[in-house]
Amino acid sequence: MAEYSRLARGSFTSTGAAQIINLPFQPSYVEYFNFSLANTAATSQNVISGKWQYPMAQNSAVIEGYNATPTLIYDTVSVGGISTFSAGQMLQFGAAKQIVASTKGTTTSFQVTAHGYKEGDVVLFEGLFQSSTTGMPQMNGIPFTVITRTDANNFIVNWNSNNAAYTNLAGSPASAKVKQILYPFLYFPGTSVISAITTGTTTTIDTAEAHNFVVGQQVAFHIPSQWGTVELNTIPNNLTPGSPVYAYVIAVTDFNTFVVNVDSSAYTAYTTNIAVTAVPGLSFPQVCAVGDVNTGGVQISSGSALYPPPYSVGIGTTRTNTINGPAVLGSFVNNTSQGFIIGAGAGTVLTTANIVGVAGNIIYWRAQLADIGLPV
Amino acid sequence: MRDYIVSAASQINAGGGSNGFNPTNLGLTDFSLVATTLDTNNAYKFMSGIEGMDRFGTGPIRSAYFMLSSTELQSDFDALVGQGVLNNWNYPTNASALPSEWGSVYNIRILTSSEAPVARNAVANSAGTLNDVYYNTVVGKQAITHINQDGFSMNLIYRDPYYSGMLAQNATLAVKFAQAQALTQDTAIRNLLSTRLSNLGV
Repeated sequence: MAEYSRLARGSFTSTGAAQIINLPFQPSYVEYFNFSLANTAATSQNVISGKWQYPMAQNSAVIEGYNATPTLIYDTVSVGGISTFSAGQMLQFGAAKQIVASTKGTTTSFQVTAHGYKEGDVVLFEGLFQSSTTGMPQMNGIPFTVITRTDANNFIVNWNSNNAAYTNLAGSPASAKVKQILYPFLYFPGTSVISAITTGTTTTIDTAEAHNFVVGQQVAFHIPSQWGTVELNTIPNNLTPGSPVYAYVIAVTDFNTFVVNVDSSAYTAYTTNIAVTAVPGLSFPQVCAVGDVNTGGVQISSGSALYPPPYSVGIGTTRTNTINGPAVLGSFVNNTSQGFIIGAGAGTVLTTANIVGVAGNIIYWRAQLADIGLPV
Repeated sequence: MRDYIVSAASQINAGGGSNGFNPTNLGLTDFSLVATTLDTNNAYKFMSGIEGMDRFGTGPIRSAYFMLSSTELQSDFDALVGQGVLNNWNYPTNASALPSEWGSVYNIRILTSSEAPVARNAVANSAGTLNDVYYNTVVGKQAITHINQDGFSMNLIYRDPYYSGMLAQNATLAVKFAQAQALTQDTAIRNLLSTRLSNLGV
């Protein structure tokens, strides 16, 4: 009986953090095995395989791994196991986590006990006040990519707080929380908050989260006067009435840096040095994708799909394919998706294990959506 | 379309309110600022004005852009009545008012929907009090478009069980359409982000 079943298989190289697998369906059964650990000597806390099936609780799993002897045993996972998702709606957040402390600098570091984030995750801060007049509330409400996962309790975001307007947080201020934006790139390229501007004969833009722009992309700037470089703003073109002045992306340096064809040599310098008292009503400097002038889709290359789908780049050069068919480079993409996540939890007995293995492990998985469930 | 605009349109944080959050609750100056921004960008208004009439409690209505807001903000709008905000029952004639139209302020006519985008508990003030962030989308006429591809305009498909599966157990009923949304001019649309002043009724 397999009239409407969906079956999928695949593999990935573990990063040691939770792994998201996008599928064109939300599976009711998931299993995986860690080929690398199966191919090494029996070692305590090594998890070789795991399974989850609806209606088991989300984030749970049954795993098989080595105990201290080491003997292969079955165990269960109650947190950080296997879960499924349906990312069809914006503005869904993970649990709010207490910020213990922050350290200002040209990038900004946050201490959050057992934050659980990995590089490339997008987070949102709220209530970054040390007192009503001090702290880092200028960063509240901006989506940030975690650019460095320092360790399990610390991470860094791309924001220059190295000026007088910012004060380090300390002692777990009650209001200071961070939460993950669960599905940050459902539609891309979109609007990104600018974290830095380097002026010159061409202009280099850094963004707080991944911009997902490509070379040839048209972009618009909306920079309130407090942030400095207002000359970049997309305003009506005086030569062609009614037509805005857009910039073009001429180079993409990395996931959060790109260059536009604007000679900004004489422009006002960009600054994040904005007083805490100015925060209520503070609008953010933004860059927006405004359309596509490109032609052609993602290049077909050795080993690629015949019709490669558009992809997002959340961190580094790691491409995350969407589930769409081919599209024009730089055009808006609907990235609503479904699939499953293998978490980074431990077992009830194997308490120091990581079910998704360690960085570099090769994991093979299978997933399915069954026609019939008894009971449903 | 709603989530697409949340992702792709630029944002202005409300600063005209008094609740101390960023963004603040909506104040009159926020409506004025957004309309001014769109005017400066040569956005087209959706509605022409309504001329004043000799009727008690009414006032003339300016030509206007549309703004889509959450129904949860209606009590905040009510608090602004008499300060430049008119409910649609105070229009000289509400013949042109849409069913979802709450009212008008300056050059903006406000439509409300329970489906308007809201980010729950997305901001906190220094006391740790949380507030929701509302995406109030203000659009000019040329800002967005809806594209239906030729030959794919809304097909209703029914296949009886004999054709739907080899075991003839289930029928198939589906709607197929090929359409896309696009921002045609980024400068003619703004998300006016705000928090809420009043308590949320449940």
